[in-house]
Amino acid sequence: MSRRGPRGAEDRLRRLLVMLPWLMERGEVSVAETAAHFGLSEAEIARDLELAAMCGLPPFVDEMIDVFIDDGMIWVGVPRLFTRPLRLNSVEAWELLAAGRAAMQLPGADPDGPLGRGLEKLARALGEDDTSGVRVDLERPEIADRLAPAIEAAERLRISYWSAARDEVTQRSIVPRQLFTDRGEWYVSADDDRSGSVRTFRLDRIEAIEETGELGAAVSGALPTPGEWFADADIPRAVVRLSPSAQWIVERYPTDEVGRPDADGWVEARLPVASRRWFVRTMLRLGPEARIVEPVELSDAVGEASIAVLARYRS
Amino acid sequence: MADRVERLTNLLALLLETRTPLSLTQIADELAGQYPDKAASRRGAFERDKAALREIGVPIEQEIVSGPEHAGQTRYWIDRERYELQGLELDPDETRALQVAMAATRPGSASGQEAMWKIGGGVLDSGATVAAVVPDAASLPVLREALATRASVRFTYRDVARRVDPWGVLLRSGFWYLVGHDHERDARRTYRIDRIDGDVVLDEPIAVSRPADFDPRDAVPDDPKLIGASGEITDATVWIDARRAAAVVRELGEDRVVERRDDGAVVVRVPCANLDAFRSWVLGFVDLAEVLAPDDVRAHVIGWLEATG
Repeated sequence: MSRRGPRGAEDRLRRLLVMLPWLMERGEVSVAETAAHFGLSEAEIARDLELAAMCGLPPFVDEMIDVFIDDGMIWVGVPRLFTRPLRLNSVEAWELLAAGRAAMQLPGADPDGPLGRGLEKLARALGEDDTSGVRVDLERPEIADRLAPAIEAAERLRISYWSAARDEVTQRSIVPRQLFTDRGEWYVSADDDRSGSVRTFRLDRIEAIEETGELGAAVSGALPTPGEWFADADIPRAVVRLSPSAQWIVERYPTDEVGRPDADGWVEARLPVASRRWFVRTMLRLGPEARIVEPVELSDAVGEASIAVLARYRS
Repeated sequence: MADRVERLTNLLALLLETRTPLSLTQIADELAGQYPDKAASRRGAFERDKAALREIGVPIEQEIVSGPEHAGQTRYWIDRERYELQGLELDPDETRALQVAMAATRPGSASGQEAMWKIGGGVLDSGATVAAVVPDAASLPVLREALATRASVRFTYRDVARRVDPWGVLLRSGFWYLVGHDHERDARRTYRIDRIDGDVVLDEPIAVSRPADFDPRDAVPDDPKLIGASGEITDATVWIDARRAAAVVRELGEDRVVERRDDGAVVVRVPCANLDAFRSWVLGFVDLAEVLAPDDVRAHVIGWLEATG
């Protein structure tokens, strides 16, 4: 039997303590199903269960964990110990509650459905006597409720979309694939006919939406994990210095690195500039609270933009 | 010596089964041959095992013996009531729904996955078609506990040590906020939870009771242009170019439109009580928006632009 370090032993025990009650409830289950359920290989399952079967205390060695594996099946006999999983710790309790409350704010969630009922039981078990203590407000726009069923059905839609990067409204035919919200904004990732690839659109920039009556092809390939769609090594970078009041942008937008604050609290940050227009707009908003270190052409672009806006005020 | 997992499992079983608290000597006797014979290395091995069990969340109770015999000896046991997950009793469809919820909101969370297994759910699928990115902050679990047990909390925020009666936490615009009664200020305050420095510590029971109709959603304005607003909210009138007019009217609402011009541009009323948030909003339109009134707000934006670059 292989020996692992302390960390390995803890992980294996942790897994065993959730696996045993799950197996006892079923009595008889295949090794393959168990492996899939717990994200382990069949060999790992077999090793840990064989170990569990060896555990015991005198004088009832044989009775403690009555489990054996034969021909790809696991049998669990009369349960004695470890019939219930370990209680939730405070982090796990939080994870369940926060996930459930957040999901209740997604399109299609039904307070009287299984999620709502499960959450009620959870809140009761965790001693929440009222549910207003932990709230999630995803500020869901109406259009989200229209897109969610379109994703389900793989409907093709026609949209008018304002592109912030180019400052123009374009007509596009899309098949929506994934709807998500991140940092207060809502997005839909879709097969986009215009670019021939998957594009992510911000919902508040969709100016109009129209049904086509057509269906798109079945989805191919895995969907990305929302929130990880920004980073792209090919995008040009800018280095900016930010005053304390301007540092919200490093929480809002992706950065490569953020330096340590100097004596006045300013930091230097390197960030990807996917859109020149976005960068100019953001720097105008930050005004004297930010300084562009490099590149020169971006600092020139911001200077020109500020002159253009001033010209409007002075005309 | 036995495999470490085997020894840990046996120790756990022994402490769950015992009817009386056990000393280390008694434990080593019961688990014959599994702990070293030498006292010092036996104690070391046991302390490591005890720490490992506590690390995975096992509540090991201990008492120190008083009285004439074995005075000062520590004895251990596990209270099954405190060990086992009880009282949840989810139906299979409810477990499944919570699993879908977790996959849609916290797909990469190791603790979320662990919680899912405990309630009988399986491996979280990735790539939910409808999802929310729910951010993390280390102090959220303890704040939830404080809310459930009605305890005050202590923490440092903006370099000031605070004692706060928590009234609610709210996720909005990508950030978790705590709303509560700040004892030093003797007033309701809102804190960005990710900006709390260091740990949040549970303190005494709540002293100031929460208003009956309190809802954290009302305490944290959803429009940043209103955050920090006090008293009467002032409005600015802003010209918006035709190209952005539709989107702005959608954002603000039709009742905020003061004038519609022939070229498609609109003039709208916008709250400007929080001048920083207002200016940031207007400048986001670059040269497609212009503050028309009041004069001092207009002058402020001009001054800002002159100092930019």
